[in-house]
Amino acid sequence: MTGKKKMVEAKNLTCAYNGHTAIENVNIDVFRGEFIAIMGPNGSGKTTLLRAIAGMIKPVRGEVRVYGSVSYMPQKEHVNASIPIRVWDVVSMSILARNKKFILSFSLSKEEKKAVEEALNAVNMLELKDFPFTSLSGGQQQRVMLARALATKPDVLLLDEPFNGVDLPTQEKIISLLSKLSEKGITVITVVHNVSPLIHSISRIALLNKNLIAYGKPEDVLTPENTLKAYGVSIPVSVCEEGYLHPLFGDIHG
Amino acid sequence: MLPPFLERAILAVILISINASLAGTFTIFRDASFLVAGAAHAALAGAALAIVVEEAGFHVPVLLGGLIFAVATAITAGYASGKGKLSGTEDTNTAIAVSFALSMSLAVLFISMIREYAARVWGLLIGDLFLLSYSDLKLMFASTLFVVLVSVIFHRAFLFISFDAEAAMAYGVNVRLYDYIMLSTVAVSVVVIMGGVGAILVFAMFVAPSATAAKIAGTVGSVFLLSFVISLICGLLGIYLSFNFPFSPGAIAALIASTTYFASIFVK
Repeated sequence: MTGKKKMVEAKNLTCAYNGHTAIENVNIDVFRGEFIAIMGPNGSGKTTLLRAIAGMIKPVRGEVRVYGSVSYMPQKEHVNASIPIRVWDVVSMSILARNKKFILSFSLSKEEKKAVEEALNAVNMLELKDFPFTSLSGGQQQRVMLARALATKPDVLLLDEPFNGVDLPTQEKIISLLSKLSEKGITVITVVHNVSPLIHSISRIALLNKNLIAYGKPEDVLTPENTLKAYGVSIPVSVCEEGYLHPLFGDIHG
Repeated sequence: MLPPFLERAILAVILISINASLAGTFTIFRDASFLVAGAAHAALAGAALAIVVEEAGFHVPVLLGGLIFAVATAITAGYASGKGKLSGTEDTNTAIAVSFALSMSLAVLFISMIREYAARVWGLLIGDLFLLSYSDLKLMFASTLFVVLVSVIFHRAFLFISFDAEAAMAYGVNVRLYDYIMLSTVAVSVVVIMGGVGAILVFAMFVAPSATAAKIAGTVGSVFLLSFVISLICGLLGIYLSFNFPFSPGAIAALIASTTYFASIFVK
């Protein structure tokens, strides 16, 4: 599953917004083809860690290196969903931005069109390519945003809460798509509120609460001591038939 | 043959509709519709300062003073909202409101320094479709050309940063720069058109038709088109009605445009 090549490396990473520290001294390595989850309570710096990896914010101290191209999918709530942009145009955005085709009305080249089509196909949204983004359901919007991130064919895929507002069958489909991508060698790093549905697919979990509380295999991370440190309460776990530990979040939102 | 003042009024309505459709729609998409009123009032302070400077012996066109202040307001608002973009505290309209207060207080200060002709400052806010001169029209034409050009060149960037500034940043788009260009263009368009036809018509025509169109239309292109058509119909109706009844054409057009917006909310 994991190749040896290091794709993301954070050393003593410390980031702040307007003087308020969001993450502190985070050390993390992610290898090629790994599928990892970042979890932690609200305000624990999960999104900040993703943004630092994406190069959107500069560290106050420490450093973060990425050895390859990155795609980023922000939380759906951060998108202005009142603009009736066509699904096709939403997905093209990442390619146009990456290829610096933003000035004037450059049209997509043949390869770029193909990349948009493939990305939409991968999330089963090609049929709705001419629909306005505004007319889609929450889950469909998430899939379009995932397609936009896939369209640039990244080496490292960063996802912020990709399962928010997504129904269970769609969630399963997205997880299996992400697993396939990681098997193909793409490194997938996703922030999630509830890691349970992903447990069978991920290789490691980063448990965050400003500091990195634990980073490793799910069974090593999801110990009562660690969850107590992160959430202030220890989170019970149940073991499924296949022997995986599933944290039972219930009403705990950190 | 139409009388020349009527020709000028019709031409002005067409130009206003183009400005309103482009600049107005971008402010709606950017959630910064308050910029229209903010830039207009910032222009007052600039106009007043221009007259103060003129009395001291240096000639600065009143419109130029207004433009500089309006663009400064747009950039300040863009800067303030950019600061909050990633920490989730973005609030463009509050930044505009504070700039609004600042420029109004400066306007009062500068006006009190003017020894005579303070009415020229307020003249920037007051205008009438039937009292337009050819030089007013030339300026409006220049502004229209500018807005069209900027929109053609940058519309994709404007759309991306308005739709999803966070992802735009992640893909290496210079969000700040495009935001400044977009907001400044809106400010320029607002001030030039206001200098010709007055503030009320600008407030109504730059916000209401685009807001209505954004509620109804299903594609980005049709928002621009529909907002142009709504502005045009409101403007022409204003002229037609004021020709037959003793009302100001701008006020009628503004009344129809705002009513259309509320009607669209009601119907939806």
